[in-house]
Amino acid sequence: MFDEIAFWFAYLTNGKHLTWYASFQFTIIAALLGGALAVVFGLTGATLKTSRFLPLRLIGTTYSAIVRGVPDVLFFLFFPLAFEQAVEWVVATQVCTVESIAAQSSAWPPCREANWFLGTTEYLLLASVSLGLVYGAFATNVIHGAMRAVPHGQLEAARAYGMSARQVLWRVHIRQMWVYALPGLSNVWMLIIKATSLLSLLQIADIVLWADRLGAPNFLPAVGLVHDDWRWRYYLVLFVFYILVTWLSEKAFEAIMRRAGRGILSEARG
Amino acid sequence: MQAFLDDLAMMAPAVLFNLYFAAASIPVGFVLAIFLALGKASSNTLINRLSRGYIYAFRGSPLFIQFFMFYSLALSLNMTVWRPLGISGFVLHPLFMGPLVLVLNTAAYTAEIFYGALRAVPRGAIEAARAYGMSPSQQFRRVIWPNLIRLAWPAYTNEVVFLFHATAIVYLALPVVGGQKDLMITAKDLFERDFNAFLHFPVAALYFLAVSLVVFFIFGLIYQRLMRHLPQPGRVRFMPRWMR
Repeated sequence: MFDEIAFWFAYLTNGKHLTWYASFQFTIIAALLGGALAVVFGLTGATLKTSRFLPLRLIGTTYSAIVRGVPDVLFFLFFPLAFEQAVEWVVATQVCTVESIAAQSSAWPPCREANWFLGTTEYLLLASVSLGLVYGAFATNVIHGAMRAVPHGQLEAARAYGMSARQVLWRVHIRQMWVYALPGLSNVWMLIIKATSLLSLLQIADIVLWADRLGAPNFLPAVGLVHDDWRWRYYLVLFVFYILVTWLSEKAFEAIMRRAGRGILSEARG
Repeated sequence: MQAFLDDLAMMAPAVLFNLYFAAASIPVGFVLAIFLALGKASSNTLINRLSRGYIYAFRGSPLFIQFFMFYSLALSLNMTVWRPLGISGFVLHPLFMGPLVLVLNTAAYTAEIFYGALRAVPRGAIEAARAYGMSPSQQFRRVIWPNLIRLAWPAYTNEVVFLFHATAIVYLALPVVGGQKDLMITAKDLFERDFNAFLHFPVAALYFLAVSLVVFFIFGLIYQRLMRHLPQPGRVRFMPRWMR
């Protein structure tokens, strides 16, 4: 009995497991940063969509339509690669000489000096931005709908007080919009949480990658076979982890919606 | 321009794999979802709890993890179960594992849609059916189901499109067998050959967009047919609410 507990304690606190626990930070950072950026892009997209200037309106509409019409994982992979190449191309126009371009044998980058090496931090930032871009398109629609749900009388009252168009937008329209947007934004947040499982596709050693490494058949010369293929157990843990996070977020959003809905007609609350 | 056309030609066989995954999992998921939705609405505590739990678990966790979980579970049962039965090559094949997990996943999402529609079926219609002396199964077939599917169809259309989008991650989680590459893997392989991200990924995206539009068109026609008794049939709109 005691041996059992000692074994499990030792097993679950070995170095690889500690690294696994630490790697949860990538998932959490990507989710929080991606969520914040999604709201920013969503607000931008929604204001573009309601703009009176046609080209801006077109940009907003195309952004939300195209990004939602393509699988999230495709965009998630494409954006960091495209961004990296774009930066390398700009750098290449500055640093490459004719000789260095001739010396380069592979197709990309144009010369060796223009190569930009991306580490975990860079990939994590890029992944968060692409999460923000993808789910910002969903948030655009949510916020656009919510802006139209704000009672017209409120805006007219603000204008009657002599507020400028910008003041009406920032002090009344966007502040009152949140109540109507929260149910939709909670949906978008759930999507972002689930999309954070894709981080390992960008070479980030996240929880999924570590679950795969830890679960693989483990053989130590000193002990013999520690365990055979346990990957499904580790994935089961992640499966439960994500369900718990979803459940917690649901509870949190319920509380936020209750608080944001104070003093506002009950039909606004989802 | 030539490179673009080459890409289009190279990805034409690849889109068939995505279409296969979607086509193989949608009908099964549809039937399973009906039972799950009825289970969630059931007054039997056990059935109700089980269906609710299933739907919550599969909607609350990423499809990517579900793929890894079921595939590694199947792998660990290989020596004891599949190998002695002589079906290990079949069970572990992505063309079987992929649709299996997609079915489990889409059934949960579709069941949630059907459950919402089930609760929106007019009470009066069900009461009228009961007053006519219809048995529960008659009520379901003649009154509840026709109402339900009409209410659920626009949301179900979005679910089908998103299931098709979800087929993009099948081969990112499962091993590629032989030359059986879907759109994502083809785009990735082409990218690793000449690093032209701005060509290969948008071409794959074009394929996804094109198929999505075709799905919307076909499902829109079905919707019009379902609603033909109404003077002004509604239109199926691209309004995704959930993704995996």
